[in-house]
Amino acid sequence: MLRMQGLSKVYRTQMIETHALRGFEIHVREGEFVTVTGPSGSGKTTFLNIAGLLETFDGGEYTLDGVDVKGLNDDQRSRLRNEKLGFIFQGFNLIPDLNLFDNVDVPLRYRGFSAAERSERIKGALATVGLASRMKHYPAELSGGQQQRVAIARALAGTPRVLLADEPTGNLDSQMARSVMELLEEINVNGTTIIMVTHDPELAVRAQRNVHIIDGQVSDLVRRMPSLVEPRAAEPVARPAVQ
Amino acid sequence: MFHYYLVLGVRNLLRNPMLTTLMVLTLAVGVAASIATLTILHILSGNPIPHKSAQLIVPLVDNGPAKSYVPGAAPEDRQTSYIDASNWRRIDKSVAPVEMRTAVFDVNGAIEGVRADLPVEQVGGLAVDADYFSMFEVPFLHGSAWTRAEDDGKARVIVLGRKKSEKLFGNENPVGRTIHVFGHDFRVIGVRDNWSPVPRYTRLINSSGGPLSGEDDAYIPFSTATDIELYNNASTSCSDDDRAPGYAGFLKSECTWIQFWFQTKDRAGLASYLANYASEQRKLGRLKRDAPVQLFDVMEWMRYLEVVSNDTRLSVWLAFGFLLLCLVNTTGLLLAKFSARAAEVGVRRALGATQGAIFRQFLVEAGVVGLAGGLVGLALSVAALALIAQQSKSLAVVAQMDWPMLGLTFVLAIAAALLAGLLPTWRATKVTPALQLKSQ
Repeated sequence: MLRMQGLSKVYRTQMIETHALRGFEIHVREGEFVTVTGPSGSGKTTFLNIAGLLETFDGGEYTLDGVDVKGLNDDQRSRLRNEKLGFIFQGFNLIPDLNLFDNVDVPLRYRGFSAAERSERIKGALATVGLASRMKHYPAELSGGQQQRVAIARALAGTPRVLLADEPTGNLDSQMARSVMELLEEINVNGTTIIMVTHDPELAVRAQRNVHIIDGQVSDLVRRMPSLVEPRAAEPVARPAVQ
Repeated sequence: MFHYYLVLGVRNLLRNPMLTTLMVLTLAVGVAASIATLTILHILSGNPIPHKSAQLIVPLVDNGPAKSYVPGAAPEDRQTSYIDASNWRRIDKSVAPVEMRTAVFDVNGAIEGVRADLPVEQVGGLAVDADYFSMFEVPFLHGSAWTRAEDDGKARVIVLGRKKSEKLFGNENPVGRTIHVFGHDFRVIGVRDNWSPVPRYTRLINSSGGPLSGEDDAYIPFSTATDIELYNNASTSCSDDDRAPGYAGFLKSECTWIQFWFQTKDRAGLASYLANYASEQRKLGRLKRDAPVQLFDVMEWMRYLEVVSNDTRLSVWLAFGFLLLCLVNTTGLLLAKFSARAAEVGVRRALGATQGAIFRQFLVEAGVVGLAGGLVGLALSVAALALIAQQSKSLAVVAQMDWPMLGLTFVLAIAAALLAGLLPTWRATKVTPALQLKSQ
């Protein structure tokens, strides 16, 4: 589903060069739930941004669902992002002026779905996260956990192949974090591939596989742990409930 | 998606009413200043008879003295002598491609004794040929124009303007009545309906309100006016110092005081005919200068007489300069507004919006500002024109908003807003989504 080989990313200023990723290798199979951990500055977010086609890379190969993304222009990356990827952010990143319905609607608009299909998908996605009754509410009227659920609904509504989550529980208390994690696990069980960056070791071990990044590379220590490094063959699963 | 962007644009503008009001007002003031001045220019430089303006031709023959002649210089006067006018009035269709023609000059006099309760009524009008009414498509309320035969017969007939007719006769149809005017009895044969072309292109050099306002009270045949020895009541230019005395001497002089119009579909043919005519007149020793005959159609004639003054053009340029300043301000405000939305751009880009989609969304939002600016600008334009109209009677005629200018107000406002929005919108598309998403 997602394969990076020998990937490198260098941030350059006039004074210094920072190698955010070097020789980065990862292969995530369809249906996997992979957590990515590592100390601050290790390259986790850079990896996620490149995986999410939000940033380009300097060297190596990256294939997403069979598409070599290296030669794609900005528009092509945007369309691929819209069709294949869903994002969940630590800060929820809902648009405050839009109600829940309209927030979930955003990626669907860019996909070009009809009004009827969008409406069906939005209602289904909000129902999946338990917020169907609050679709006319605005983000500010919700708790943090609820906002993150809306973000998950927004990510799910377009039926992405891969869900990219950047510390999705980082801003939540433990109870809400647990609830969100359970929701993600449920989504994964329903067949969506999930890659989640987290600082929380407790959450990291709940995934099928944990990839630890140090200095822009997948840590050798983790590579030596076969159960964590080698991707497990995905079990046949149904497509997500939200279509 | 346009509807989606439009809804988002309206919502985002309503979210920050103070900033929105500031942007709309800035734009509206600039648009209003431009539209108000442009309206005056538009009315002044508009084609008063678009379907045949190219067929209506003013000829100018330079009959000035030889001594002061500078080759290539414009004729000293912008009117025609009686000699040329009377020659041209005799042109036969068989010798020149002339469909119609008329001489025009201003006449002024008094109407007496129409009603006992009315004092002596001044009348300012035109002495014209019968073709005048057809050439310039003058509408009639009652009766009709006189004929060429009546021209030739120097008939004592008169066509009254509607206002003068109503003043003299109320709502009664005066056709057939006889009135004593210009010291003679005239039979009323027609009443011209309301007709005030702006500018008054048929007689720009006049004594009854200049090129913009005023209207003619009455029309009498040119031949009758000269028969009863009426002088031109507007500008008359005489370089012929040794002319014979009296009206006959005046008619035989090289004084220029008549406006002449031809109607032709063959301008080149007419030019050729008049060039030959001038050549003949030079051979006869009458025309002293070797100057070409100049022809002007309606629009060329208005430009030649500078109906649109340089001051008017300058005020339009100044107003557009002011609009440019307003645009720079609006650009600044839009930059501030759009910069504050970098986070939203980041989210939208992450969710699949292309740079083009972001560009369109923000440009539509700028367009909404333009639309609102157009509405407010329209109100301000109307107010500005009302203020301008109060300055003088002439300005009141041209300070009128018409449908094309109303449409232009919105086009200008939206175009200005889109122009002002280009830089902020382009900047919005350059937001780095990864940076914005992490900073939330």
